[in-house]
Amino acid sequence: MKWLELLTVGGATLVAAVTVVVLYSFAVRLTAIAGDAEQASPRLTRSLAYVCFGLCGLAVLYGLYLIIPYFSK
Amino acid sequence: MVALVIALALFFDFTNGFHDTANAMATPIATGAIKPKTAVALAAVLNLVGAFLSTEVAKTVSGGIIREGSGGVQITPDIIFAGLMGAVLWNMITWLKGLPSSSSHALFGGLIGAAIAGIGFSSVNLEVLLQKVILPAVFAPVIAGAVAYICTRLAYALTARHDPETGSKLTQKRGGFRTGQIFTSSLVALAHGTNDAQKTMGIITLVLIAAGTQPTGTGPQLWVIAACALAIAVGTYAGGWRIIRTMGSGLTEVKPAQGFAAETSTASAILASSHLGFALSTTQVASGSVIGSGMGRKGTTVRWNMVGKIALGWLFTLPAAGIVGALTALLVKTGVVGVVIAAVVGTAAVLFMFFYSRKSDVGHHNAVEVEEAGQAVRFAKKKALARARAKANKPKDTQR
Repeated sequence: MKWLELLTVGGATLVAAVTVVVLYSFAVRLTAIAGDAEQASPRLTRSLAYVCFGLCGLAVLYGLYLIIPYFSK
Repeated sequence: MVALVIALALFFDFTNGFHDTANAMATPIATGAIKPKTAVALAAVLNLVGAFLSTEVAKTVSGGIIREGSGGVQITPDIIFAGLMGAVLWNMITWLKGLPSSSSHALFGGLIGAAIAGIGFSSVNLEVLLQKVILPAVFAPVIAGAVAYICTRLAYALTARHDPETGSKLTQKRGGFRTGQIFTSSLVALAHGTNDAQKTMGIITLVLIAAGTQPTGTGPQLWVIAACALAIAVGTYAGGWRIIRTMGSGLTEVKPAQGFAAETSTASAILASSHLGFALSTTQVASGSVIGSGMGRKGTTVRWNMVGKIALGWLFTLPAAGIVGALTALLVKTGVVGVVIAAVVGTAAVLFMFFYSRKSDVGHHNAVEVEEAGQAVRFAKKKALARARAKANKPKDTQR
């Protein structure tokens, strides 16, 4: 029985999904903070939000890079 | 016979496409992130792209369950024809009922039934069946559901905003997740393309090898890849609106952040499994994610009786498709007349179900009524929050 493979799949799923969700949630939260009226430095939080969005996108792209056999040849 | 099998395989690919549109696009449609028609078009294009990206799955999915090659039995196009017939008919029935059931299980069931009827019980490798079909069927929804549950919890915890002094809730501003859903659902559609179009490619290649037009041990030819990609894309575009309704609003109410978490889990589970070689069914992963995310968000209830119906559908998939496959195999065994009868009866059954479905029209205009409701929530936030709190105070749903 391929219990090890099952575990690997479960673990990989968890790590990948949590990474993307956490980064995106941070980005959403920072965007929300940047939109607050009384916020002192909206520019800083906004750019931080964009960094998070960017990292999230990179994480997805890296995942695709790993999966598409064309790149790993 | 070979041409007939290829035609049927492509039709199976088509049903697979419209059966599984829901997996990718039900949640964004339900939250109003994408308009229904745009959603299916996007899913169709990404399926097309995905089908070309990887052909790894094509080689592994169908192999092994039926003892083939030396020392085993020879798979004939007849058996594959019968198996496909079972898969196609079961796909049509579940679509009519709006049940998301696994197309790959239907295919396995059909092939197994056909092999038992056509060759004998010894032709089926029970251990491989357990390992490749039954265990993944149990674990796919569990893994996806657990991950989606965690992700939903995280997403809501990280974006929950309280006033530091008073502790009262601020406006949450989770609108960003709606945009994010477009990307995550696209990823699911892409994953589906890399996964499900492969099965048909594998089948057609198997037939071509069996017929002797292609050397053993070679991968799918380019025209096979193109035809399969196209068939699944067209099927996806046709849209299984009945199943979208079930997945988008039948299981649980879906909100953007929750949908985002569910789709991310679905996409990572499918991509991880198809890449690491423990094939999970797209449909079961997606259903598990939606259920898990429903449990993760406070103030939602999961409609367990619908979950039960779907689970029952999954239980029946293998035997039901198997019986149809077996009957077809028996018919085909009798010779050319049997093949003609099987083909005619099959076509008639599909046409009948199609026209029967016309009686209660479910299309992009009425698949998910939640779309407007999802938009309305923006204005009625406080009410929704009060409701959520009231529900959170109630004893939690007992988890399985």
